[in-house]
Amino acid sequence: MPPVVVLKDLVKEYSKRRAVDGVSLEIGEGEIFGLIGPNGAGKTTTLRMIATIIKPTSGEVVVCGRDAVREASAVRKLISYLPEEAGAYPNLSGKEYLKFMASFYYEREEDAATAVEEGERISGLGDRLKERSSAYSKGMKRRLQLARALMVKPKLAILDEPTSGLDVTHAFHLRRIIKEYAERHGITVLLSSHNMLEVQNLCDRVAFMNEGRVVEIGPPGGLMAKYGVATLEEAFMKVVGFA
Amino acid sequence: MPSGLRLMVVKEVKDLLRDPKILVGMIIFPALLLPLMGAAINVATSSTIEKASGNLTVYVVDDDKGPFSEALLSYFIANNVEVKTLLGPPQESAKGLGGGDVLIYIPQGASGNLTSGSRTGMLMFVNFKSFSLVEFIVSGRIDSILSVFEGELVKRTISEGMPGRDAGEVLDPITVEYESIVKGEAFPLSPAVLQSTVKMQTMMGPIVIMLVLILAMQIAATSIAIEKEAKTLETLLTVPVSRLSILFGKLAGSVSVALLATVANVLAFTYYIGAVLGTAGIGAGDLGEAAAKLAPAPEGYLILGLSIFGALISALAIALTLGTLAQDVRGAQSIIGVAILPVFLPAVFLMIGDISTLPSAFQAALYLIPFTYPALASQALFTGDYGMSLFGLAYMALFTLGMLYIAARIFSTERIMTARITLKARRME
Ligand SMILES: Nc1ncnc2c1ncn2[C@@H]1O[C@H](COP(=O)(O)OP(=O)(O)OP(=O)(O)O)[C@@H](O)[C@H]1O
Ligand SMILES: [Mg+2]
Repeated sequence: MPPVVVLKDLVKEYSKRRAVDGVSLEIGEGEIFGLIGPNGAGKTTTLRMIATIIKPTSGEVVVCGRDAVREASAVRKLISYLPEEAGAYPNLSGKEYLKFMASFYYEREEDAATAVEEGERISGLGDRLKERSSAYSKGMKRRLQLARALMVKPKLAILDEPTSGLDVTHAFHLRRIIKEYAERHGITVLLSSHNMLEVQNLCDRVAFMNEGRVVEIGPPGGLMAKYGVATLEEAFMKVVGFA
Repeated sequence: MPSGLRLMVVKEVKDLLRDPKILVGMIIFPALLLPLMGAAINVATSSTIEKASGNLTVYVVDDDKGPFSEALLSYFIANNVEVKTLLGPPQESAKGLGGGDVLIYIPQGASGNLTSGSRTGMLMFVNFKSFSLVEFIVSGRIDSILSVFEGELVKRTISEGMPGRDAGEVLDPITVEYESIVKGEAFPLSPAVLQSTVKMQTMMGPIVIMLVLILAMQIAATSIAIEKEAKTLETLLTVPVSRLSILFGKLAGSVSVALLATVANVLAFTYYIGAVLGTAGIGAGDLGEAAAKLAPAPEGYLILGLSIFGALISALAIALTLGTLAQDVRGAQSIIGVAILPVFLPAVFLMIGDISTLPSAFQAALYLIPFTYPALASQALFTGDYGMSLFGLAYMALFTLGMLYIAARIFSTERIMTARITLKARRME
């Protein structure tokens, strides 16, 4: 089976800084893949290039055989992206927001309606979906966003810190949904996180990023065994040379 | 319409109309404010007129007590003015009167002066307390009764001195009649009447146009910044919808809301003008007839409408383009604050004078600004000279396309996510 995501020597330079510095990796179908690394490591920049928001300075991004720069609109039909900080339109209700976003992906209204139902279920917001999203708490907003990203059953879901700002129970709930979705619908998930424990439990494979480079890659269990440690956190510290 | 575009337009209009700031600030508030102002002015003027046209009273200190003062006082009474005679120094008495009260001092020997042919001095005291319109109107009315009385005196003297001659003709031996030629046709109107007719209509045009332009530009400029601030833009840029559809959706959304706001404003404005002019007694009679005779041709209105629409779209294209560069809503607003200047300039120039009398550098600059053309078209309503307006339509179409092209280019690149242009100083982090 061909990989869903292929990154080849990916580089992104901002005026002075190299935010991403030669990243290469492949993600297979149905995989849950985690990018972990400290603040400023280049995780968001990498995800944004895959999500067709910014263009690489050099290198290649290929999603399901499509080039993310030259065939950006084809790629957009295959992915859904949850930004690190995402909002909904404050004057629309949660349900209207889901409807609006779903309509872009389907020709037929019934299909969009099915997706919205799915989104309502994922969000777990129930009747509160009728309220304007400006009245939602941070956690509710995040759940709405995750629902939006998953309801269209993309080939690839790109989730930038999906559980950031959530309490333990909500984060747990969200992780379960991600896992369930990936398994049930064969969705490939690429996510970033600071939370090593989260990644350790959720991801099939992880990549450690530091200063724009991928410094280690492999399944969480394999990495822990390789460095002879009990947690991913310790493995990361060993790799970046702090321990 | 491609479905992505339709979705964007529907969402834009819904989102904008539900925004309390826009609904209240741009539609409901102006729509209520102007009629309320009109009504207030209406009530104020009619009560003023009532008061001012009510029974007049004049206070008199009469040191003459001769035929002159007798004639004057009975003339007042004949004109329904109540005369109250006071004693003592006139200045002191005047100080004790109410606001708007008028005191006339007739000095000793006034009657003697009259018969000997020398001039008579009189003093008129007006007591101002509130500076309301009433205070000015009352003294004005007493004044005009005095001048009519003076006129009567003059006429009597002329008739006595030149028996057989008509005093009116002696005083006003020349009459001038006016023919104003407009669009090659002569109208029996004086330039003064013509000016007030034309001015009223040409002023209203630019005012309404400016209102709409400013509203629409603000909506368009902030619409992308709002998405940036609400953190919705990043998501929107990854869904299967073209950048151009997003842009046109914003354009269409701001046009529709602007048009709605325009209708509300124009209705309110018309009511306001009606309310104000109605009580002031202007607009009827001569002027209305003149206006009817000067009624512009339908193609004039068509060109004006197209010019306004062209300027509107041009303005939105500029606003959208600049708005894409702004970091947040405040940034977009300050950029637009500066960009609005060119909207005002042509309107100000054209209200004051004729574009052809300006230095040619100024003329060229004005012709480069799209907002000049609606003002020109509203003048063309009366002059019938549509040449420049037609050129303007073509120019504005090109201008808009050029602007949209730039906006689309900015929007298609990642600048939209990374651009950081603001007019304010860097914030502390
Ligand atoms: N628009 C931009 N202009 C200039 N530099 C940028 C821009 N966006 C990101 N950077 C820089 O690129 C580097 C990588 O940033 P990025 O947001 O990808 O990190 P991250 O791994 O997502 O960090 P975090 O965990 O804090 O989210 C940082 O040094 C950042 O300052
Ligand atoms: Mg990040």
